Amino acid sequence: MSKDKKKTSLRYRLIWPLRNEKWQPISIPVASILVSFIAAAIIILLLGKNPFQAFYNLFQGAGILPKPTYAGYKSMLTDFLQLLNAMTPMVFASLAVAVALRAGLFNIGVSGQMLASGFLATIIVGYSGLDAFIAKPLVLLVGMVAGGLMGGLVGWLKYKFNIHEVVTTIMLNYISQYVISFFIHMYYIDPISRQSKYITEAARLTLVNVEIANMKMNIPLGFILAIAIAVFIKFLMDKTVVGFEIKAVGSNRNAAKYTGIKVGSNTVLAMVISGGLAGLAGVTYYLGYFGSIQPKVLTNIGFDSIAVALLGNAHPVGIIFSSFLISIIDQGSTYMSSQAGIRQEIASVIIGLILLFSACSAYVKYKVSRLKDKEVDRKDSES
Amino acid sequence: MDTIIIDGLSFALPLFIMAIGGIYSEKSGITNLALEGFQGFGAFIGAMSAVLIANASGAAIEDMFYVALLFAMIGGMGFSIIHAVLSIKFKANQVISGVVINILALALTTFLTTQINALVFGAASDKFRLGVSERFTIDGLANIPVIGAVFTNVYPFQVIIIVIAIFAWYVLYKTKFGLRLRASGENPQSVDAAGVSVSKIRFSAVLISGLLSGLAGMCFAYSISAQFSSGIYMGYGFLAIAALIFGNWRILPTLGACLLFGFAKSGGMFIAQSMALPSSFTDLFMILPYVVTLLLLIFFSKSNRAPRALGEIYDKGKR
Repeated sequence: MSKDKKKTSLRYRLIWPLRNEKWQPISIPVASILVSFIAAAIIILLLGKNPFQAFYNLFQGAGILPKPTYAGYKSMLTDFLQLLNAMTPMVFASLAVAVALRAGLFNIGVSGQMLASGFLATIIVGYSGLDAFIAKPLVLLVGMVAGGLMGGLVGWLKYKFNIHEVVTTIMLNYISQYVISFFIHMYYIDPISRQSKYITEAARLTLVNVEIANMKMNIPLGFILAIAIAVFIKFLMDKTVVGFEIKAVGSNRNAAKYTGIKVGSNTVLAMVISGGLAGLAGVTYYLGYFGSIQPKVLTNIGFDSIAVALLGNAHPVGIIFSSFLISIIDQGSTYMSSQAGIRQEIASVIIGLILLFSACSAYVKYKVSRLKDKEVDRKDSES
Repeated sequence: MDTIIIDGLSFALPLFIMAIGGIYSEKSGITNLALEGFQGFGAFIGAMSAVLIANASGAAIEDMFYVALLFAMIGGMGFSIIHAVLSIKFKANQVISGVVINILALALTTFLTTQINALVFGAASDKFRLGVSERFTIDGLANIPVIGAVFTNVYPFQVIIIVIAIFAWYVLYKTKFGLRLRASGENPQSVDAAGVSVSKIRFSAVLISGLLSGLAGMCFAYSISAQFSSGIYMGYGFLAIAALIFGNWRILPTLGACLLFGFAKSGGMFIAQSMALPSSFTDLFMILPYVVTLLLLIFFSKSNRAPRALGEIYDKGKR
């Protein structure tokens, strides 16, 4: 009997963080990350490689841990800033998905909105030769407006004509992909790189090859903005009437309607905000991380961000952490594959597994609460 | 004109069978954005088996078509178990489960394709070469003007798809299973009250969607792309979802939507080619199916209504 009790108490302590409702938003994603790293370790073991070495290389490549040697003008800080550079559009895109999710809408068109706003900002500002102090804010503005309009169109079509937003966003993804590819091929192609011509340095949201203390590094200006916007979105959703109404429409359309909330305009508004955020993702990606646009290709960020938003519980602060993690795996994979001799594609498998396990969070919550109920029952029957 | 019909049909029919899979799943109340992943993974399993068997037996890869088709269906079905377990047993959010499955399918298949190519063939390649399946023409019927094109240069899979589609239509609308399936998407409590397990029905519906999507993916791999690579994830799964929503979750209107896509796509290509425009102009004509769909939806989607319990996790206690 005592042994049995000991066993249950051990199990108890192990799952305590999962049981405590206050900790669940953090403990469940962490648990799913751990489980998926274990699963990935098993895959790497099966390939006959050392998983710890591989994970260590992953963090080295992302600039979290120091590499043994660095090329000239490079250091850990270079890699880390590059990580933040890659992470910036991911944060914006996930915020875009999260805002739409709160309103009960699925913005699958983040990729298309990113491409359209990135393209417009490129041709309006990117080639203009404006001064940096005017060009950079203008890029952000153009991106936000273009994305917002495109998102707004989706919301308006949903409200006015009852067209499912999933269909509209998918169609708009294709349309923007092909139309923009056409314009790039016709007017803005760089014949050597087969991409659009590079934008001027002044318009770029990432300061490229800045020399500080004998190091060359890329400084992502958009990252600071991303953090600020995440905080702003949290404030908007939790503390303002606008956020409350959007959430009310998302949780129950009819109830919202009967309390006098305008469902239609809130649907459009949520999509405008979502699209605007996607636009910011677009400009930080195409005019920050890259500097040119590859025709006929939609980024995967738009789709990955749906899952990243989920991993962060569709909560702005959670999103910062989850996109940080996903970007580490993404960025570190090249170095890992060169060092450990494991194919780079394993990185996306790990990401897929993390997202898969985190999708099970509702089940974990349910199971754990069942355990709790059983415990209460047993105590009742004992006493 | 003939090429528009021939190419249009060979694109529309795989899309249609995938959309039927989606209808089964969504009619039973499970939102299914995972079609894209199912078709890719199914095509991967099919292509892998075809390549491996052809390698072992020395047969030509083009002849392995039916083997590939069979394995693709099994593969798609096997992969769809993840979506079924996540969204039915684990009560996960169905949209998120679907998106995650798409990401996982892309990651897994590209990883495994390179691994298998390296291990079995010792080549650093990220695709399986398949070739194009042979076509046939029905002599007498092909001579009829206009309609004759339907019987010219037909892929064998088109016949298979039509047969399966008719069977799927019969099962969904004329059998007890179909009735229960549709009821669990509208009012699952009533199905439960009749003594039928909602979970089982939904589970089988998702598996059917995986099976049909695997079939569709293999058809794309053996016709349009002639190979398996990550290029199979062209977004046709999402297009199928768009088609089934456009078709108001009913099989016959969905066929119309798929044919519209197919003909608009091949028609756009035809116009671009016949006007002898530079190749970048084809991009402009490629948007035709999507623009037409959006415009038509503006007129026709007022009466569109999703199954009532779509996307809801079944809760026995709910009234």
